[in-house]
Amino acid sequence: MRALVADTKLSLERAVEGLGLPWTIGLRTGDTSSAERAKQARRLPSALVTTPESLSLLLSDAAASEKLSDLRLVVVDEWHELLGSKRGVMTELALARLRRWNPRLRTWGLSATLGNIEEALERLIPSPRPSPTPRSAPRAPEGEGGHRRIVRGASDKQIVMDTFAPPEAERFPWAGHVGLAMLERVIEAIDGARSTLVFTNVRSSAEAWYQGILEARPDWAGIIGLHHGSLDADVRRWVEEGLKEGRLKAVVATSSLDLGVDFSPVDRVLQIGSPKGVARLLQRAGRSGHAPGQVSRVTCVPSHALEFVEAAAVRRAARAGRVEARQPVDRPLDLLTQHLVTIAVGEGFEAEAMKAEVRSTRAYRELSEAEWQWALDFVTRGGEALRAYPEYHKVERGEDGIYRVKEPAIARRHRMSIGTIVSDAAVNVQYMRGKRLGNVEESFVARLSPGDAFVFAGSLLEFIRVENMTAYVRPGKPGSAVIPRWDGGRCPLSNEVADSIRELLEEWTQKPGSDPKRDEPGSDPTEPEMKVVARLLKLQHAWSRVPRAGEMLVEQTQTREGHHIFFYPFAGRSVHLGLSALLAHRLGRTRAATFSLAFTDYGFELLSRERFELLPLLKDGLLASGNLLDDMLASLNAAELSKRQFREIARVAGLVYQGYPGQPKTNRQVQATSGLIWEVFARWDPANPLLGQAEREVLERQLEYSRLTGALARIGEAPVLLRQTHKPTPFAFPIMVSRFREKLTSEKLADRVRRMQLEFDRAVAPDEPAPAIGKPGPGAQLDLL
Amino acid sequence: MIECTVAGETLVLLPEKAAYWPGKKALFVADFHLGKAASFRKLGVPMPAGTTRENIDRLERALARTRARRVIFLGDFLHSAEGRAARTLERFGAWRAARPAIELTLVRGNHDARAGDPPGGWGMRCIDAGEALGAFVLNHVPGAVRGGYALAGHIHPSVRLSGEGESLRLPCFWFGTRYGVLPAFGAFTGTAEVRPRRGDQVYVIAEEEVLKVG
Repeated sequence: MRALVADTKLSLERAVEGLGLPWTIGLRTGDTSSAERAKQARRLPSALVTTPESLSLLLSDAAASEKLSDLRLVVVDEWHELLGSKRGVMTELALARLRRWNPRLRTWGLSATLGNIEEALERLIPSPRPSPTPRSAPRAPEGEGGHRRIVRGASDKQIVMDTFAPPEAERFPWAGHVGLAMLERVIEAIDGARSTLVFTNVRSSAEAWYQGILEARPDWAGIIGLHHGSLDADVRRWVEEGLKEGRLKAVVATSSLDLGVDFSPVDRVLQIGSPKGVARLLQRAGRSGHAPGQVSRVTCVPSHALEFVEAAAVRRAARAGRVEARQPVDRPLDLLTQHLVTIAVGEGFEAEAMKAEVRSTRAYRELSEAEWQWALDFVTRGGEALRAYPEYHKVERGEDGIYRVKEPAIARRHRMSIGTIVSDAAVNVQYMRGKRLGNVEESFVARLSPGDAFVFAGSLLEFIRVENMTAYVRPGKPGSAVIPRWDGGRCPLSNEVADSIRELLEEWTQKPGSDPKRDEPGSDPTEPEMKVVARLLKLQHAWSRVPRAGEMLVEQTQTREGHHIFFYPFAGRSVHLGLSALLAHRLGRTRAATFSLAFTDYGFELLSRERFELLPLLKDGLLASGNLLDDMLASLNAAELSKRQFREIARVAGLVYQGYPGQPKTNRQVQATSGLIWEVFARWDPANPLLGQAEREVLERQLEYSRLTGALARIGEAPVLLRQTHKPTPFAFPIMVSRFREKLTSEKLADRVRRMQLEFDRAVAPDEPAPAIGKPGPGAQLDLL
Repeated sequence: MIECTVAGETLVLLPEKAAYWPGKKALFVADFHLGKAASFRKLGVPMPAGTTRENIDRLERALARTRARRVIFLGDFLHSAEGRAARTLERFGAWRAARPAIELTLVRGNHDARAGDPPGGWGMRCIDAGEALGAFVLNHVPGAVRGGYALAGHIHPSVRLSGEGESLRLPCFWFGTRYGVLPAFGAFTGTAEVRPRRGDQVYVIAEEEVLKVG
């Protein structure tokens, strides 16, 4: 985002200069210097390039209306990126405020192709409320509302999408051990292009590919780069500039380079692993051939066999124009409380007018009276649970009826924590002689011992020690080294791609000839990628079955590990997480059992020590949609997931205070992890709507409940093919080896503890005197203070 | 409830997150953090009410279970100066008034140094770390000391257990060869994972049970 902001400022300056306009262009982000801020405080530039967070911060200025009421135009770039997140809602709230000051404010939104472009418009410029309630009718923004339209680009960009064929189809791995089997093809492609962007889905795989390329072509040292979100800003800037200037032959990047920075010299894009979504691949493809009239070229580089199917599926969906929608966030209460405090820190607000203003956004149009009252109560008195604590006050209602934050310390702390982005407890990585490289997760560092080697920022490093959240390193000696893993960043397969995969498999099962007995299925694949997986599909078909679009395949098998049940709904990882928990919960009700759950984008596995007879259970409604919500929430994962989801909510609602990296820690006595705060709320204020919001967000965002409902409805109608196989099939294998496992059990905690082993400190010899204090675990330190 | 032997003495470990020493009829409680939620409130974070009541109720349960005659707080009894809210102090004061015969001792910890001693009316003896009591030396920060086996708190220990593809983190009692660490008692406290060594005695608290795991 910051790269984009800086880039936009440069482009605007060039345009202004070319047109000979007497305009000044300013920049306002979290990085803006205090000198520049002071200059802007005296006089704002003609045009200001900023982020939702910095705009919100401007609204907390005591003279915000004076400064911004003659603002005439807002341009929201990359609106599709904001739309699906709370940052989008933050933008809506800021726009509502700006429009109140200037009802004639014009708004432009720029968006990439989206499945719900009408909704994107509606969010940015809401239509007038259809039937305003009599008591509080907010006015639709004048001059907008009725006058809004979607402008589409004159010609569609030409995009070439293909897939590398594997060097040896026979040997290609079935499952997700992301090897560098395709390294040679990637190097040839880079060699043949002017400048190539190599996208990976996760940071660890970007590090691995960068290392792989450099080992194969040491002569490229200095002309290839690495770019991901955990690298130091200076490192990233060097790469971005190198790309723009055409100095770099190739850059290995993650979604950190997805956004629309203009890298004109790039003429080739490679996508390592499945892009998982149509919009994502289109966006990445668009990084090449950026100039008008040029062709964008993207090539998929699958890392295991089934990703060939995905590559074909994505291309097919893209051709058909089936692009994913971005689901906007509906009335998040955490953000509402943050916004109320933001305005109270600045000019303050009057309750009725503020309610109308908030409800004039699309996000909060359906905000109920009770929800509004709760939010107001929460920021003033701390909510129901604190009614008896007169000493608590954050926002206070003055005698003039205006709500304000009076305490400067609270105002200061709030200003520093405006935003919705949760940053992980990260440890800086720095050379002994001083150069900063970026950051890794605390849990990764906790497992390192001095002398251990690891790969980071494209370099082989030796870990020396950790001090004040900084891991000191020096250049490492060649040898075996680990690559840190970062949480997050994995998106599930989109519905559009999943549909497309089921379609391709359906076509494969259709026998082309007139004599169904002689013709082998899939002898004439419709997409070239399907040839690569022909052997795998034939094997699957022989051992079990390749399901047709309307069929639900279930496989049961036994290994030394226990009894496995595999389901293949092809509905994406997050839906499978929800479905596996649901089915384990339902199976567990018939008999006390412990399940290990594994899931991929294609299917999921329930592993247990006991064998379940599925036929009667299936007849008995194992896959039925009835009681779905209750069963989902009752499954053990729901509480644990809510607790994790609460991290973002606690941060947005100001329950945890997140300082900036490198900033000295203040207010130690009010630091606690969001998990701990969740536990306190769940126990002593269980009706708090923020907990309900966490549950809703888990259902909608993590388990994709509406998708799950759809998938279950589809499965419920489909004929079930139950196959007993003598060993795991080609479809089952990738699920079995999946690293993502959850446990679901109905056994007592104490019984589980008795079966488990304590993890000892292996770093110290057993006969040494006096125990050393172990390393505190990830995120644990905060609670101590 | 489970018995163990530490420094030749019998200790009874309670699921209430306290340890009872029958030899001196003493209940050890580490990291009570009275007023933690109140300090959050004072600084603008709306923590719900209930944690102080829960702490007092649990202390009362531990006393009822053991019939202890004295409570020794191993540091961090008060969370912070901001947490000395009238309501919170009144609540503990009321408990104290109802239990005047129990002897209370506070070994000052790092939080107490900033938060100050408890109100004088509670009759709590406040001492600095390092005082010996029989086989034990009363401490807050874990570490080996001269003159006895040290009992401490401060780090809010928890351990990780794993097996059969599952992993759990539970608060624990952790006794090494020269000092032992109690779990944090306070209802609004987190834990830090520690890695004990082979030979250490480790007991986890699994809901209503205390289990030996190492």
